[in-house]
Amino acid sequence: MAVTGRRLPVYASAMFSFNGSPVPVRDDLKSAHEAIWAHIQQPGQMFDADRRLSILDAARNNTYAEDDPLGRLATTLYTTPADVNGDLVRSAIAASGDPDVVEAISLVSMLAAVDNTHRALGAELEPLPQPLPGDPAGGIATGLKQRRTHVPMPMTSVTVALDLLPAENEAYAATCGPHYMTFTEMGTPVFERSPGLNRAQLETVASRTSLFQKCFY
Amino acid sequence: MLRESALAYSYDIDLAAIADPTIPLGVPGGNALLEFVDAITGVSNEDLSSAQLRVIEELGPEALVDAAAVFGNFAMMNRIAEGTGIPLAPQMEAREEDLIAMLGLDRLKKH
Repeated sequence: MAVTGRRLPVYASAMFSFNGSPVPVRDDLKSAHEAIWAHIQQPGQMFDADRRLSILDAARNNTYAEDDPLGRLATTLYTTPADVNGDLVRSAIAASGDPDVVEAISLVSMLAAVDNTHRALGAELEPLPQPLPGDPAGGIATGLKQRRTHVPMPMTSVTVALDLLPAENEAYAATCGPHYMTFTEMGTPVFERSPGLNRAQLETVASRTSLFQKCFY
Repeated sequence: MLRESALAYSYDIDLAAIADPTIPLGVPGGNALLEFVDAITGVSNEDLSSAQLRVIEELGPEALVDAAAVFGNFAMMNRIAEGTGIPLAPQMEAREEDLIAMLGLDRLKKH
């Protein structure tokens, strides 16, 4: 940690070395993972940081309590997302409410982005960060409708699926650019990283990944 | 978007390769990328290191990072879609009916 008279968050500097990867990782992707770690270690809109990290730890290690529908949803979503169905989500909503479920989905999904990138590179998984103090922020969006979805959202689109908790959707949206493309870039058929993959090549990986997870996206 | 992007790049692709990577896809390095995903997920018995090396050799080291990152991104987006219950839009279902059938994704029509 740098000595500046200000304590740096524990995710800085030493983390995300991608130890085990055969190639160096570009800076924007490393920064995106650091940003996710910074996000999950903060208090959220519904949960304090201890709760957020306990959900993620249980999901990673498949240690949810049998009488915890939210924990069961979070763990199933992390380990076998194709097994997540309406009944499982509705059970969690009945126990905890829409906002808690949305926060859990957001956290687990962003953890999956980090962990699966590491697995693909053959890199060791990064230890979860330490929770930071503070109370949940609140700020649940109002006026959203359930539509044909499990949770309320402004419209039926994966780009705003977490908008019941705006801070979660914002964090997730910021993650997409370094991993794939920004939401704006997704609208054009031509995109290239140079050096790196073009749109058709990116979509090749995306298609096979989604097929494996039995998801049309 | 694979179909649309392949058109934009004038690639003559066979989407059946998405379900069966032994079929030539028609995208530069495409089959190496498909086999990379299969090695990560354990669908194939191929060693991850071998699959990574093929991507590096055919497309470069930066391509491996991009491919891994996309894998991670869709691990995230698929979970968000499944968890929040995003259904397949009727117009998309009609437009992609052949692809849905080809890839065996009929379960997506129900939620």
